[in-house]
Amino acid sequence: MGDISYLLPLLFVGVGAVVLMLLSYTKSLSISSIAKIALGFLVLAFISNVYYFGELHKVYPYENVFFGMIVSDTYSVYFNSILLVGAIATILIGWDYFRPDRRFTGEFFSLLLFSTFGMMLLVQSAELLSAFIALEIASLSLYVMIGFQTDNIRRVEASYRYLVLGSLSGVLFLFGTALIYASTKTTFLGNIGVELLPQTGKDISLAIGGATLILITFLFKISAFPFQNWTIDVYDGSPLPVSAYMASTFKVAVFAFMLRFVAMDLGYIKDYWDGLLMGVIILTLAYGTFLALAQNNLKRMLASSSIVHTGYLLIAFVSIDIIGESASSSIIYYLIAYFLSAMGAFGLISYISSSDKLRLTYEDFKGFSHVRPYMSAMLSIFMLSLAGLPGTIGFIGKFYIFSGAIEAGYTVLATSAILATFISIYYYFKLIALMYFYPSPILSNVPPLKGLPPIFIGFIAIAVLWGGIGNTFIAFFPSIDFLIDVAKLSHRSLFLQ
Amino acid sequence: MNTLLMWIVLSPLLTSIFIGMVYMWGLKYHKLARQWYIVPALISPFVSFVLACFVFWEILTQNNILVYKPYVWLSIENVDIYMGFLGDKLSILMVLFVSFVGWMIHIYASAYMQDDEGEGKFFFYFNLFLASMLLLVLADGPLIMFIGWEGVGVCSYLLIGFYFRVSQNVVAGNKAFIVNRVGDFGFVIGMVTLFFYCTDVGFDYASIKQVVGNIPSFTLAFIGLMLFVGAMGKSAQIPLYVWLPDAMAGPTPVSALIHAATMVTAGVYMVARFNFLYELIPQVGVFIAYVGALSAFFAAIIATKQTDIKKILAYSTMSQLGYMFIAVGLGGYASGVFHVFTHAFFKALLFMGAGAVMTALHHEQDIFKMGGLRQKLPLVHGCMLVATLALCGIPPFAGFFSKDQILLEAFASGHYLLWSIATLTAGLSAYYMFRLFFVVFEGKNYNSSRHIHRLSKTMQVPIFVLAIGSLMAGFIGVPLVLGGDNHIASYLFEWTKKSLHVEHSIEFALMGLSVTVALVGVVLAYVKFYRYDFKKEYVSKGIVYNKFYVDEFYHLLIVLPLQSLSSFIASRLDIQIIDALIMGACRGVIKGGRFVSLLQNANTRFYSLLMMCGVSVFFIYLILVLG
Repeated sequence: MGDISYLLPLLFVGVGAVVLMLLSYTKSLSISSIAKIALGFLVLAFISNVYYFGELHKVYPYENVFFGMIVSDTYSVYFNSILLVGAIATILIGWDYFRPDRRFTGEFFSLLLFSTFGMMLLVQSAELLSAFIALEIASLSLYVMIGFQTDNIRRVEASYRYLVLGSLSGVLFLFGTALIYASTKTTFLGNIGVELLPQTGKDISLAIGGATLILITFLFKISAFPFQNWTIDVYDGSPLPVSAYMASTFKVAVFAFMLRFVAMDLGYIKDYWDGLLMGVIILTLAYGTFLALAQNNLKRMLASSSIVHTGYLLIAFVSIDIIGESASSSIIYYLIAYFLSAMGAFGLISYISSSDKLRLTYEDFKGFSHVRPYMSAMLSIFMLSLAGLPGTIGFIGKFYIFSGAIEAGYTVLATSAILATFISIYYYFKLIALMYFYPSPILSNVPPLKGLPPIFIGFIAIAVLWGGIGNTFIAFFPSIDFLIDVAKLSHRSLFLQ
Repeated sequence: MNTLLMWIVLSPLLTSIFIGMVYMWGLKYHKLARQWYIVPALISPFVSFVLACFVFWEILTQNNILVYKPYVWLSIENVDIYMGFLGDKLSILMVLFVSFVGWMIHIYASAYMQDDEGEGKFFFYFNLFLASMLLLVLADGPLIMFIGWEGVGVCSYLLIGFYFRVSQNVVAGNKAFIVNRVGDFGFVIGMVTLFFYCTDVGFDYASIKQVVGNIPSFTLAFIGLMLFVGAMGKSAQIPLYVWLPDAMAGPTPVSALIHAATMVTAGVYMVARFNFLYELIPQVGVFIAYVGALSAFFAAIIATKQTDIKKILAYSTMSQLGYMFIAVGLGGYASGVFHVFTHAFFKALLFMGAGAVMTALHHEQDIFKMGGLRQKLPLVHGCMLVATLALCGIPPFAGFFSKDQILLEAFASGHYLLWSIATLTAGLSAYYMFRLFFVVFEGKNYNSSRHIHRLSKTMQVPIFVLAIGSLMAGFIGVPLVLGGDNHIASYLFEWTKKSLHVEHSIEFALMGLSVTVALVGVVLAYVKFYRYDFKKEYVSKGIVYNKFYVDEFYHLLIVLPLQSLSSFIASRLDIQIIDALIMGACRGVIKGGRFVSLLQNANTRFYSLLMMCGVSVFFIYLILVLG
């Protein structure tokens, strides 16, 4: 296997996107067959990706062509797996949602693949400019995906808002890159760090400024305070499967890049950010919590709570230079935990709200368990996991992050995070309580569990539970320990030469 | 060879899952023929038995210990806890008779449960029970044992409440479960304390054995005591015995298998398994022996006044378990296990006989409404006689040899008080057992025109087989003084107490005495009940009949104070203090939420303004830091 094998996942997705774009031009193919083709490309990419899963390596494929702009290591393989599963999940969950009468066409899937391609490229890029391009590929495709239903004013509005604010943050990234280049004469990850070492005796304030600008873009994309305002409006305005896709995968990709950047280059600069990030985290947690409390609409609640989850993740991010490996692996684990729970919750709600006109509020779920007991059970599982109750993957994720924060000495952060978790029980459990403790159902025209999406969501629900309780309870089946081990391995692969 | 150990457990586990699925399928779609679950249910215990025989043969001929560790089940810090199976002489002996008696009772149950609509469910639980029990026995460490320990507890709970439409049965199931939780609590505390000292070596018996010497003796005594609390619950000893009589609410095969032959002996097995630990703390052992003796005596007294056939047997089970604890408490693990072994045969037989009688009489349980069954159920009569004799310790039946060894153990170790309680209990046992026997099978003026439900062959065969077992099982442990070889003692060599020096004449005297006491009991029962007149209503009252009001006492002492405390907390503490505080805080927080949503005003220009403000703040901060 030559270098090509390391690029296969990227190639499959990229080529798939182009092929789908060409195919959707011919009107003879129905949208579901296009969805199948997209799924096929993604699955191929996934398989070729899983081939290197958990194997410690770091390769710059075709170094004479790409000059080391693209890297493939254990770390990228790990994240690409999450991203690909996310893309596959989006298609499966939206299987019934993406229909022609909702103005979805074949191009939508092409965009989905482009977006996934961008995210994967972001995870694999070892250079700031290529990272910027990857980020923009992913974002631009997402802007269009959000506003794909042009007949719906809310979609267009959300798309426009995201475009404007996203471009603003993109500018900051580019500016930051320029500043770093001005200071270090390089944009390659790894080399930047060497230039920034105190031994060189350079004035690095330009680079600090540049890195801070990139940090801001990063904070914007993961919706941390004070760059979070777009989150609720955009999530709320997008089609539900797209919200699910954004919430679960984009954060993963952005985190993956930032983690790589910080771990490889910014160890020294990060010290300057400590106080700043502490403030950001506490405000993010507070803002997200308060916002989620005030929401009555379920989708908006999930969007607000995603801000809180960003806060949790950032805690591990701060403690990274003190307890490096375990902090990274706890971020990686938490990303999976959040990815599964959010994907499940968004997906299930999108399945329940079959009609777009319906804007599901808490009230609608009164007595829901009497009509759809299994759906209520799954929804409860996702809520429990998001709230981080023991027995679900969310608990393990939070446990690692909080204990890591305490270990690293950030007791204040851990305390405020625990407080936020405590309050989050309110808005998550409200749904469970409403579903189970009211006698007569309000929603009655919910489609029964049928077809692909519910099966897939059921699998996610099982995975959520498995991640929470499944140690090696069943012989030879991968468990938490396995994921953590691979996460640690991934972190190690960053520093391979 | 080692993998066989795993398959001994897996065989009933897999069939149990299969039966469960078939049953669910039957509920959801159309009902399947009963062969679907009967056949696998009956095959799996047999498979386990055959596999156990292979392993037994291997151990006997090769004289080694088999260990099989398929995978790491848990890894805590640097201790890997394997899903480990340990086949040594002790565990494989237990497996042998558990699977064999289990198999017999499965056959019996297939007839007993024939017309029950929940038959599939029953065998699902029953096989699951067997798997858990075998796991408990074959586990190579306390934690794996605890899986089985809890598994049998759950199955016991499910099966006691099997006829869940009668609320009384559900209450009985809850009682059993809750009382056992109290015991488990002790067990877990003991186990965790023990784990504290094993963090370097691992948590299987072999590793624990290496460390016990280093544990301070006070802590060790605490561990031993706490583990024994678990045994108290599971094996129904004072004070945690109250659940066992009520547990008879389940179907009779359940009482035979779970609440007589196997599960309740788990506590004894556990103590024997931890022999290396208890040997270091003989004072705790004596305590165990006294608890056992008191339980034996106490239960025997209660049994003399009961009228429900299954309750009498339940109390006799408790009483016999007491004997076993005397033995293991005094360090005579082999004798204790020997009694577990013989007891499994005759007690299972007694329950199956009782079940047969009840089936014949259309679920009548009051012995004073039976009578004169000797002519009508000759086979059951004969087999019950064998079992009764075995329980009373009349030679040459099984119980004689094992009980005698326990008595000898007590006497030889110088605990004469224990010995006298145990001997007295032997007399009481003979009395209440023959009381039952005479009333049920003899007696005059009984209603002979009563219609008798015919017993199927499937029900009679296991009864007969176990009767042979009750007759023969004792011969593996014929003491030297009677010219035997005492195979069991030489087989369980490691678990035998080393220093037992009693002169032969004393041994004979002890034997004679215990048999005499038993015979006195039989004679008393004969005089009082052989020609019992059924026209006379049996007056059941008095403190003994009411089981010394222990249940009421517990209720008054534990349940009621807890309830009033709960209601105090619920009505006062919760509403007036905690709720008030929480609600106050909540209102504040929700107000904060309203304020925050003002920032969320869907104005893009405002958002970008905020972002730029953020960027400014970031850089002001940086300038301040960098100077």
